[in-house]
Amino acid sequence: MIRCEHLTKVYNGVPAVDDLNLAIPAGEIFGLLGPNGAGKSTTILMLIGLIEPTSGACFIDGIEVAKNPIEVKHRIGYMPEDVGFYATLTAEENLDYSAKLYGMDAAVRRKRIPDLLSLVGLDGVEKVVGGYSKGMRQRLGLAKALINEPTVIILDEPTANLDPQGVADYRRILGETAENGTTVLVSSHILSEVNRVCTSAAILAHGKYVAGGTWDDLARTREKGECVIRLETRSPMPEIVHPALLSVEYADGHRSARLVAGADIRDEIAAAAGPAGIRRLEVEAPDLEDVFLSYYHEEAAS
Amino acid sequence: MRSAGLRVIAAKEFNDHLRSRKFHLIFGIFLVIAVIGLIGGMVTYQEQLEDYNRAQSAVQDTDEFMEKSYYSWKPSMLSAFNEMSSLMTTIGVILGIAMGFDLVTREKESKSLKILLSHPVYRDEVINGKALGGIAAIALAMGVVLVISLAVMLLFGIVPNFEETVRMFLFGALSFLLVFSFFAIALFMSTVAKDSGSAIIYTLIVMIVLSSLLPIFTYGSVYTAAFGQPPDPPESTMVRYGGYGGTYVSSAVSVSVSGEENEEKVDPLIDEAWQKYEEESRAYWERRQAVASAVSLLSPTSNYQTLAYAVTNPDMARMMLSSSQFSVVEMDDEIPQEGFSALFALLGEMAKNIAALVITPALFFGLAWVRFMREDVR
Repeated sequence: MIRCEHLTKVYNGVPAVDDLNLAIPAGEIFGLLGPNGAGKSTTILMLIGLIEPTSGACFIDGIEVAKNPIEVKHRIGYMPEDVGFYATLTAEENLDYSAKLYGMDAAVRRKRIPDLLSLVGLDGVEKVVGGYSKGMRQRLGLAKALINEPTVIILDEPTANLDPQGVADYRRILGETAENGTTVLVSSHILSEVNRVCTSAAILAHGKYVAGGTWDDLARTREKGECVIRLETRSPMPEIVHPALLSVEYADGHRSARLVAGADIRDEIAAAAGPAGIRRLEVEAPDLEDVFLSYYHEEAAS
Repeated sequence: MRSAGLRVIAAKEFNDHLRSRKFHLIFGIFLVIAVIGLIGGMVTYQEQLEDYNRAQSAVQDTDEFMEKSYYSWKPSMLSAFNEMSSLMTTIGVILGIAMGFDLVTREKESKSLKILLSHPVYRDEVINGKALGGIAAIALAMGVVLVISLAVMLLFGIVPNFEETVRMFLFGALSFLLVFSFFAIALFMSTVAKDSGSAIIYTLIVMIVLSSLLPIFTYGSVYTAAFGQPPDPPESTMVRYGGYGGTYVSSAVSVSVSGEENEEKVDPLIDEAWQKYEEESRAYWERRQAVASAVSLLSPTSNYQTLAYAVTNPDMARMMLSSSQFSVVEMDDEIPQEGFSALFALLGEMAKNIAALVITPALFFGLAWVRFMREDVR
């Protein structure tokens, strides 16, 4: 698991990360959201022990990173956004070097490296990494992040250069990894990807924690507990009346309606509109960008 | 607790050097020129040996002076290494620079530094591993040079004796220190510069300053411009004609010619002026020599060449040392002419150069180490 306590990093008097508190339980796929300069990368660099916090602390599996970086690095798998490898070595040689740095035995390396290359779809690729596309490097980066069988994986913009098949593979691998109890931290500004992959997320702006939780939590908090329900019927529906209903907009000759309620009243609506033949009744997913931007702008304004 | 990082990184760096195209190219050129130079040196050595033997038999019946003359210097097969020492100060230096200038910048450019440091390794293991890998590759290169040199000698039927073998190894060690000095300078620049292009420019600037600019300050004209002219000899030393009886003065001795009488006497005033001139002149040249020596110590190539002479051409080194110390006779008497005692006595006289040649790479590696430890990885 990952924990940050009042984590702060100041560069030349300017806080890059400001009093960040986070707790990500084991087995969670957690998204770290924020625009450029929000403090995501600085937070990650502190988590993997590459830079030391100005104040506060971060912990991986209960171990304080700044005090025991080597022990922590043994538990972490990391893939940066601009993942870089040794161009004159093959994927296998790069992974072998990485595995040696983790102190893995030759026998373990011989088994694990082909397995990982197969997992990320790079088995049978003999050319040196210098000839790889960005997507192939990203796949190799994922393999490298998994080489030491980490308990925590930290991925910075992991799908930025992947093709659709690569994205699908990445999602599958991440899901399987989290099922095994590995904690995954994904930093991204591709909101749809975070929404699809992550079980929960935190929004950072100007180095500060703005909001966090599951995506629905974030959306509801943003919309002050309002629930937007989309209803479509085969024939014109009757007027929907309910004490929790805040507003209703009908369209398409009363065959379609957008209802804003103070709570999720889908059961009551189904009962009322049932005679008209319900084609669609669902809570409207909040617009990801709107939610994110509203948090971000609120923070910027404050 | 240390990790296995140092060993793994050093091994990888060593392999990288050996697989590097630029290493193959520069070292290959070096070897070709060295072998050609050695073959030329061996041919010259055999000719010198024949001349020496002829001269020895010719001077056996002549006076003692001849025995002390040039022909009493028995040629050494090690003189063939003189050319190689010049080669070391050019291609050897370039090899060291080529091996070191992009060790850190390449990691930054390829974005692999962040990944490398995310492994369970200490930062000092990374920079120490890079240095160790480079040291091992340079040592291997110097070892190959020595083995090939030995092979060339054996091809010419020249079998070095124990002393010559020791001198060869010392030459190899000195060459290693020279190449490592410039490797360390390049490594430091690699930690300072943002990219490999800047790193090699900075390294070349330092190389030019150390190898070409600093030695200029030991030149007479530069020194004279900075510290003034050497003292003028007394006017009396100039040959003059004039006066009655055609009196002329030369040096501290005045010779009067009057009529048919010839008498020679020392003029006390002239003698005093001459003594003063000698003292001032001696002080000036000693000061000048001290400055030149101090400046030379900053240059690894100067130190290397001085020491390489001591190892491969002791007669020449002895002569250079004597002329620089204003005590030709004493030095000649103090330093034995042959054997290990001569070698160690010469090296003892050049302890400052040895220390400087060791301190230079240590200093620059220390700077590289500190800079890398403070490297901001973002």
